[in-house]
Amino acid sequence: MPSITRQPFRTAVLVLVWGWLLFLVLAPNLLVVGASVMTRDPGTFISLPLNLDAYRQLFDALYLEVFLHSLYMAAMTTLVCLLIGYPFAWALSKLGKQRQLLLIFFLIVPFWTNSLVRTYALKMLLATNGLINSSLMGLGWIDEPIQMLYTEGAVIIGLVYLLLPFMILPLYSVFDDLRQELLLASHDLGAGRFATFIHVIVPLTLPGVLAGVMLVLLPAMGLFFVPDILGGSRNLLVGNVIKNQFLDARNWPFGAAASIVLTVTMAILMLAHRLSKQRIGEEGAG
Amino acid sequence: MKKLALAGLLAVGLTGCSSEEPKVLNLYNWSEYMPQEVLTRFEEETGIQVVYTTYDSNEAMYAKLKLLDDSAAYDLAVPSTYYVSKMRQEGLLMPIDRSKIEGFDNLDPELVNLDIDPDNRFSIPYLWGTTGLAVDTADVEGDPVHAWADLWDERFEGRVMLTNDMREVFHVGLRVLGYSGNSTDPEQIEAAYEKLTELMPSVRTFNSDAPRVPYLEGETDVGMIWNGEAVMAEETMPSLEYVYPEEGIIAWLDSFVIPKNAKNPEAAHQFISFVLQPEISALISEEIGYATPNLAAREMLPDEVANNRASYPTPEDMTNAEFQVDIGDEALQVYAKYWEMLKSGR
Repeated sequence: MPSITRQPFRTAVLVLVWGWLLFLVLAPNLLVVGASVMTRDPGTFISLPLNLDAYRQLFDALYLEVFLHSLYMAAMTTLVCLLIGYPFAWALSKLGKQRQLLLIFFLIVPFWTNSLVRTYALKMLLATNGLINSSLMGLGWIDEPIQMLYTEGAVIIGLVYLLLPFMILPLYSVFDDLRQELLLASHDLGAGRFATFIHVIVPLTLPGVLAGVMLVLLPAMGLFFVPDILGGSRNLLVGNVIKNQFLDARNWPFGAAASIVLTVTMAILMLAHRLSKQRIGEEGAG
Repeated sequence: MKKLALAGLLAVGLTGCSSEEPKVLNLYNWSEYMPQEVLTRFEEETGIQVVYTTYDSNEAMYAKLKLLDDSAAYDLAVPSTYYVSKMRQEGLLMPIDRSKIEGFDNLDPELVNLDIDPDNRFSIPYLWGTTGLAVDTADVEGDPVHAWADLWDERFEGRVMLTNDMREVFHVGLRVLGYSGNSTDPEQIEAAYEKLTELMPSVRTFNSDAPRVPYLEGETDVGMIWNGEAVMAEETMPSLEYVYPEEGIIAWLDSFVIPKNAKNPEAAHQFISFVLQPEISALISEEIGYATPNLAAREMLPDEVANNRASYPTPEDMTNAEFQVDIGDEALQVYAKYWEMLKSGR
């Protein structure tokens, strides 16, 4: 009886979810795949015949270099996020429930402001006559302003700022699930703090680390507006190349191919994540 | 600063409480290229609401208009010289009905009926300007800067700004080597690229949103700037000088065009006529520092504007000056490739 009454609601939800996925996820991605195998056309952007030229072009030394450098920038961002996020999430999980909620709320509040606006705000902090430099000079700690804006460091700061919550939240969830009994057991069995950390805490929080890395690494390669604003509009990320291909060079197949490569990289990472999770699960069970 | 879809979507106040649908003019223009006062006055006079959206490169504007769909339904755009001819030839533009345009005769005869658009069937000149050298005299010591080639000087390491415009940056590279800034010869373009890579360690940033800003921020001391931006910067930063480089300035003319899929071409015609009024053209030139092609407006300009060499160059300043022309898609691809390489280089 209840299953019948629930039926219309279930159908509605399913239609909504599937409709959403089909029209807003699958269709656009198929369009991108389609565009990537077409031929560049100065008149209509893309035209037949189908070919893989765009992908071949990706293997140009120039783009490999951009990709590798982009990966490097993203890896640095991820590392910094991890170094800040891990202790942060740990400490967070140790607080009382009320405080936890409050801090998580603070973590999420910035999302209510457009990331572009926040990046401009960061620019005002980092500029040569910005807040940081003028404060330091006012305090007499430095004589000459430090050049921070329009450097790779500024871009990494910007990326960390925008992506840090994506590292903290999955880590927080694994720390929150970390059972105190296991730590006590470890101590009882004679493990010191360090040994407990390495042999108990790290393996148990690894899924959170991997999830955080995934959520930070790939987006970091695509946030083209961060180098545009903080990095002096150079092509520091794959995202910049993609944007340029669509807007300036009008080579849509190539831009599409580059974005497919990013998507595929993401898929591979997710697969690796799944496999590692299964492996950890098995170990845990055994 | 209105890059990237943040695009200042400022709908200028509404016209009272009339029950009928308010008329709207979708104006697609360069960032900081139209004083707010002009939009407000147009609105007051005609009751047409202006939705002002901005772009920071011809390429971005073109890519959006080219789609000719609802997402890019603009009634008026302002492409530069070479894009007018390109868009006209590709059939992206609606012919302008001259009978609805008042004040066309005020325009400088030297700036109408150009090759880009014979008889101005599709375009009406809005402003013209130049891209030259900006020098912060407060921070630059030693010999005065008077040529593009001076940017390569070692003393400017890390202090140079270039516009984020492929054609302009290559124009500089080509001119320094003695070639035309409109070169379509792949070898010359490659040579310009090689030359520009030597400059890259000095380049702090590329900026075409508001090229005066990195100078005002103190991030850069020398480099490229649009003359209007230099004039706008004068107030807050008197030490920033606009210099006409020896190798020749880059000159351009921006014109109003009506895209083929415009929803309200009537309002677009009205707006063009509104801007062509000498009083309004004078106001625009005074406010944003670019030169008006409207001769009647020039007579109304205060002396300090009319005699400002940054806005209105003397004939000597224009020695070696080159207007940008359409270079065709083939050459464009060559430029695009080297531009990508230049901006990816470290």
